[in-house]
Amino acid sequence: MSDDQMVTIQVDGRELKAKAGTLLIEVTDAAGINIPRFCYHKKLSIAANCRMCLVEVAKVPKPLPACATPVNEGMQVYTRSPLALAAQKGTMEFLLINHPLDCPICDQGGECELQDIALGYGNDASRFVEGKRVVPDRDIGPLIATDFTRCIHCTRCVRFGAEIAGIRELGATGRGEHMEIGTYIEKSVDSELSGNIIDICPVGSLTSKPFLYSARAWELVQRKSIAPHDSVGSSLNLHVRRNQVMRVHPRDNEAVNECWISDRDRFSYEGLYSADRLTRPLVKKSGNWVETDWQEALEAVAQGLKRARGTSGNRLGALLSPGATLEEFYLAQKLMRGLGSENIDFRLRQSDFRAEEPAYPWLGQTIAQLDELNAALLIGSNIRKEQPILGHRLRKAALTGAQISFINPLELELNYHATQLVNSPAGMISDLAAVAKALGGYGGLIDSAEVSDVHHRLAEQLRTAERATVLLGNIAVAHPDYALIQGLARIIAGNSGSLLGYLPEAANSVGGRLAGALPGNDGSNAQEMLSNPHKGYLLMGVEPGFDCWNPARAMETLGQAEFVAALSAFRSQSLEQVADVILPIAAFAETSGTYVNAQGEWQSFSGAVAPAGESRPAWKVLRVLGNLLDLPGFDQVSSEEILAEARQVAGDRKPDNSADGGVAYERLLAGVGLTRIGDVPIYALDPLVRRAASLQKTRDAIEASSRINAREAAMAGLADGDKVVVKQDKNSAKLRVVIDPTVPDGCVRIPAGLVGTDTLGGQIGDVTLEKA
Amino acid sequence: MANEVCFRNMDQDRPWLLEQYRSRGGYEVLTRILREKTPPESIINEVKASGLRGRGGAGFPTGLKWSFIARNAPGQKYVVCNSDEGEPGTFKDRDVLRYNPHQLIEGMVIAGYAIGATRGYNYIRGEFWEPYERFEAALEEARAAGFLGRDLMGSGFDFELHSHLGAGAYICGEETALLESIEGKKGQPRYKPPFPAHFGLYGQPTIINNTESLASIPVIMEKGGQWFKELGVENSGGSKLFSISGNIKNPGVFEIPLGTPFAELLEMAGGMKNGSKIKAVIPGGSSAPIIPGEQMMQLTMDYDAIAKAGSMLGSGAVIVLDDRNCMVKVLERMSYFYYEESCGQCTPCREGTGWLYRVVHRIETGHGRPEDLALLDDMTTKIAGRTICALGDAAAMPVQGMLKHFREEFEYHITHKRCLVS
Amino acid sequence: MNVLRDYIKSLFLLELMRGLALTGRYLFKKKFTVQYPEEKAPISPRFRGLHAQRRYASGEERCIACKLCEATCPALAITIEAEPRADGSRRTTRYDIDLFKCIFCGYCQESCPVDAIVETRLYEYHFENREDAIMTKEKLLAMGDKFEQQLAADIAAQSQYR
Repeated sequence: MSDDQMVTIQVDGRELKAKAGTLLIEVTDAAGINIPRFCYHKKLSIAANCRMCLVEVAKVPKPLPACATPVNEGMQVYTRSPLALAAQKGTMEFLLINHPLDCPICDQGGECELQDIALGYGNDASRFVEGKRVVPDRDIGPLIATDFTRCIHCTRCVRFGAEIAGIRELGATGRGEHMEIGTYIEKSVDSELSGNIIDICPVGSLTSKPFLYSARAWELVQRKSIAPHDSVGSSLNLHVRRNQVMRVHPRDNEAVNECWISDRDRFSYEGLYSADRLTRPLVKKSGNWVETDWQEALEAVAQGLKRARGTSGNRLGALLSPGATLEEFYLAQKLMRGLGSENIDFRLRQSDFRAEEPAYPWLGQTIAQLDELNAALLIGSNIRKEQPILGHRLRKAALTGAQISFINPLELELNYHATQLVNSPAGMISDLAAVAKALGGYGGLIDSAEVSDVHHRLAEQLRTAERATVLLGNIAVAHPDYALIQGLARIIAGNSGSLLGYLPEAANSVGGRLAGALPGNDGSNAQEMLSNPHKGYLLMGVEPGFDCWNPARAMETLGQAEFVAALSAFRSQSLEQVADVILPIAAFAETSGTYVNAQGEWQSFSGAVAPAGESRPAWKVLRVLGNLLDLPGFDQVSSEEILAEARQVAGDRKPDNSADGGVAYERLLAGVGLTRIGDVPIYALDPLVRRAASLQKTRDAIEASSRINAREAAMAGLADGDKVVVKQDKNSAKLRVVIDPTVPDGCVRIPAGLVGTDTLGGQIGDVTLEKA
Repeated sequence: MANEVCFRNMDQDRPWLLEQYRSRGGYEVLTRILREKTPPESIINEVKASGLRGRGGAGFPTGLKWSFIARNAPGQKYVVCNSDEGEPGTFKDRDVLRYNPHQLIEGMVIAGYAIGATRGYNYIRGEFWEPYERFEAALEEARAAGFLGRDLMGSGFDFELHSHLGAGAYICGEETALLESIEGKKGQPRYKPPFPAHFGLYGQPTIINNTESLASIPVIMEKGGQWFKELGVENSGGSKLFSISGNIKNPGVFEIPLGTPFAELLEMAGGMKNGSKIKAVIPGGSSAPIIPGEQMMQLTMDYDAIAKAGSMLGSGAVIVLDDRNCMVKVLERMSYFYYEESCGQCTPCREGTGWLYRVVHRIETGHGRPEDLALLDDMTTKIAGRTICALGDAAAMPVQGMLKHFREEFEYHITHKRCLVS
Repeated sequence: MNVLRDYIKSLFLLELMRGLALTGRYLFKKKFTVQYPEEKAPISPRFRGLHAQRRYASGEERCIACKLCEATCPALAITIEAEPRADGSRRTTRYDIDLFKCIFCGYCQESCPVDAIVETRLYEYHFENREDAIMTKEKLLAMGDKFEQQLAADIAAQSQYR
C-alpha cells in the first residue's frame, strides 16, 4: 500500500476521503466531526492514554481510540453509537471521580476542555462517594502555577517537554492512582518555550502565574497582534479586559510559529504595567524633571531641534529602536531628512559598518523551510534564546537528521545534537577562515588559515547537504570584525552551495531598512553618531544605557549634546540622564503598525488597548512634530496612510542577501589578553521585556556578572563569588565572578543590557579583571 | 508422563550447572543447528508444528508470533525473554531460572538464530534475586563454553545475552511495558499496533516470549514438534508447568501434559489441606475468573476446556480455595493488588482499579450499599476492553467472575454487614 | 315593568342602602392597612433586599472571586477584581455593586457557589451622595456581619427548595 493512496471511510454514515494511514481523529477533525479528546494534540506524539476518543468501528468488538487508529479502505466508524457513547461516558465518569469540583476557583474555568466535555458526556451526580485524591502543588518557577490535584494525566505537558521544548523537565512518577506529574527534585521548568504547556494543559493543572486569578475567560476580548520581540513575528492573540492586556496567547500560524510562542512573547506584557511606565510628557527644567502637557513638551522639542540644527541638518542625529514599527521608522526618517539630516540608524548593537550590507537582508529562506534543512552553520548565534521559535524549527530539522553546527564564542546549552566550535571572538574569525579555506576560498586571511579536521567536517557537511544554510546571529552582529564575518560567511555559503541568511535581532530589524531608517549619503551610522557628539539627537524607544553596543560611550556622547529629545514608553535612568525632553509614546499592543519579519513578511496589526495615560502612538507624535517644524508631508491621519506611503517608497523590493563584500579588512579585534563577550540575555533585549517582572525572575534572566571558566579563574587567582573590577577602555564596573565552563579560554562573559554592565564599553572587546 | 520438557532435569543433583545440563545432551540441538545451518524457516515451522502456545498467560501460538518478524529486514533485531513473573499465584518461571537456566539460554539462542537476532535480554522480576544470580552464573558458564558471544562454534552467528533485573512492578510483565523498562523509561505499556514484531525494543523488530516458552524450544527442536504436540491434547500442545497453591497440602510447581484432569493435578499436590472441602479454583492466575470447585473437578487442564468454563488457563497458576474462605475478602485482596499495580497511564484502569477496590473494601468492612453490586457490574464493563493493555481486563475479570458465581456472599455482606463464612 | 321597578328602587334608596351595608360590614372587619413606618409588613425569607457578603464562622470571607455573579448579572451592576492573597488563596480586591444599576433580581445570590453574596431583608436605605450607591466590599461585608444570623436562618429555611 503506497503512502499517498486515498481511501474512503464512512463516519456516522458520512463518506470521507483520506490518505491511507492517516489517523482517524485527523480525518474527523478535518471534516468537522467532533470526537472528544484530552491527550491528543496535533503537534505531539500519540499517547492514546485518556481513552476519551473511543469510537465504534464496524467489525471490531472493542471501541478503538480515534487518535491512534489509522484509517483504511471501507472502514465504518460510529462516533455516537451506543457503544461509542457508553465508552466515552464511562471514561468521563472515571476522569471526574478524582477531579476536584473547584471550578469556581480554577483559572481554567470557562475555557476548560474537561468542563466543556463533561457538559456533554458527564453525569449530573457522581456515584463515587469516597474521598478524592489530593496532590500537593509544586513550585515550578515564576511563570507557571500548578495545581496537580486537577491533573487528568493526559501527559501533554510531558510530551511537550520531550518533543517540542527538547528538555525533559516534566515527567510522571508513581503508579496507578498515585501517578503524579512533577519536575526533577527541586527543579523549575526553565525552557524558553515553557509557557506553551499552559495552553496545552486541558485542565487547570498548569496555569499562568502572572495571570493567576486576575480574570475570567468570558471577560476577555481577543484581539490579534504580532509579537514585538524577536524577528519571528509570531502571531498573537491579546486578551484584553477593560483596556488592559491581561494575557497573551499564540494564534495558530503554520508558516511562522505553528501553535507555539516563546515565553518572552507570552509574558512580556507585564512590562506594560510596570511602575516606571511614562504617562505624561517630561521636560527637564534646570536639572529637574517636570511633568508637563503635550503642547509645551512638543514645542520644547521643536524649538530644541531647530536650535540644535542651526544652519545644518548634519548636526542632528536620530537613533531608533529596532523594535519600532515600520510606520514609526518611516516618519522618523522623513522628519530627519526634512530637517536635512541623513544621520539615522537603528543598528544600535552593531559596531563594524565597514562592509557593504545587503539592501534587504533576511533569513534567506522561509521560516518553515528551516524544518527541512539538511545542514546549517550558525555563526555567532544563540538561536535558541535569541529567536526561540526559529531555534525550535532548527531542532526539528536536527531531529530528522540535519547536521547543525555552531561557530560561537560561548558553548550553548542545546537540546539536540550539534557540532559546536567554541572559540574566542578573535578565534571565531580564524575558524571561519579555515572553513572557507576548506571550501576552496582564498584571499586575505583565508590563505593563512590553518584547517583542521573539524573545519573540514563542517565544510563537508555544508557542501554535501541538499539543503544547507549559513546563518548570522546576534553575537556576529556585535563582533568588532562583523565585516570580516559577513565576508567569510558569504564565501562559505557561496562555495558550499548554501543559502546565506541573517537572523535579524529585533521585531523590525528588517522593516527599518525598508522604511529607509538608515544613514543616507554621507550620513553617520549608529556608531559614528554615538562616538562623535552631534548637536541634537532624537531617540525613539531607546535606553542608551542598555540598548547600545557601547553604552558608556553612548552616554558620554549623548551627554555632550546640546539637545536630546526622546520618545519613550518608560521612564529610564539612563535616558533621563541625557535627555532634555521625554515624550511618552504608546508601547506594544497600544499602537497600530507593521513589522516585517525575518522571512520578509509584512505583518500589520492594530492596537488592542488605548495608550496608557496621556501617551500617544509614536507615529502621531512624529507627525505633529513634523507639523510644528513646518515640514511638508506630515498630514497622515492613520497609520495605514503612512504604511501606504512607506510601501510606495519601498516599492516591490524583494528580500535579497546579496552584496559585494570581500574579506579585505583589517582585523580590529586583536584578541590578546582577555576578551569580553557581551551577549544580550534573552530577557534583556528591549525596554519592554526588561520590565516584565515574572520573566526577570526566571533562570534565564541572569544578573550582571563576570563569567569565566575555571582555568582562567585559577590563572587570575579568582574564585566563584569573588568581586572583581572589570576595566574596559576607561570604564569600569564591579561585578561578581561566576565560574562558567561554557566560556572559552581567554574570554570573560559579561552580558550586556543589564544593570551593572551598562557602565562598560563595547559588547565585544578587550577587558582586564582585577580582584576588588 | 510428567517432567518431559522444562523440568526434565529435576532428578539431577544441582541441575543448573552447565556440566549437568550437557550430560543429558544439552546444547547439542544448538550445536547441530549451527553446524547444519538449519534454515530458520524450518525452525519456525517446527515450533508452529509443536502447537506451543505462549506460556505467559495470553496463550498466543509461539511459532506464529515468530513468523511475523521480517527476518530479512536490515537492522538490529532482538529476542527478549519475559521472566517478570508477577501474576499472583504464579511461580513457575522462577523454578526454570533456578533449576534449568541453560535450557532457557539455549532456547533463546535458537530463537535468535531463527529470527536473525544477535542480541537477547532476559528481563527478570525484581524480587527474584536468587534466580537472577543463578541465571547470571549460567550466562558466565555459557559464554565461557562458547555458546554465547561472537561467531558461535565457527558458524558466523553472533548472539549475546544479558539479563536485566526489574524493579518490582507488575505492569513490567506486560510485554511493551517490559520493553520500555529495558529502554530505561517508566514501565508503561505502549499502544498496539504496532506490535513488538515490527516496533519492539529501541524501535527494532523484537520477539518477546515467556521463560517457559523459550525453555521449551530446545526440547521441541530435539524431539520434534509432532512429539511435543502429542504430549498434550488438541489445540493445547505439549506439557506445561502449573504452579498450584492455596488450601492444599503440597503447593508447588508441577509439569504435566496439557489436558490432564484437574483432579489429578490436585492429587499430585496432595489434595485439600486438612481434608477441607474445595470451594473454588482460580485456574490461571489472579486475573482469571474464578470457577466453583464442583465444576472445576470435572475439567481438564487445557486452554479450551478452561475457556469453555468461562475462565482462562493463563499462566497456569492454580489457586485452590476451600470453604473457609470469604470470597469478598479474597476479591478485596485481589482488587487491592490491581489498584496498587495499575501503571496509571490510561484513565479507566488508573481511576477504575482504585474505585473497584474501594467499593469491594467498603462491602468487606460492612459499609456496603444495596446499589454497590450493580455499580461493580457496571464499572467492570467500563474498564474491560477500554484500556491500552490487558491490565484493565485483568482487574475487571476477577470481579465479574466472583459476582457471577458468589453473588449471594456479597449480598449477605451488604445486608448483614458481616461474613457468611466465618 | 322595568321602568316601574327602577323607579321604586330609587324612590326608596335601596341602592344606597346596599352600598352603606357593605361599608358597614367592613367597618367592623379586621383591618388590612399596615401603618408604615410604625408597623411593618411581614417579609418572606426569599425577600431580595440590600446585598451583603457573608463570612464563615471562622471570620474568613466566603467570596472566592469566581465571578459567576458578575457574569450572570443582567444589569451589569457588579464589578470584580481579584488576585492571589498572600496565603495563595483566590480573593477579590474589589467587589462593587452599583445600586443604581441593580434590579434586585437575585441572580447573583442564585449563582453563588459558596453563598457569599446574598440579599438581606433590608429595604429601607437611602443615599446622600451618588458614590454611596456603590456597595463596596467593605460595606457588603459589614452588612453581612450585621445580619448574619438572619441570613443563615433564611438560607437554612430555603435549603430544601434549592
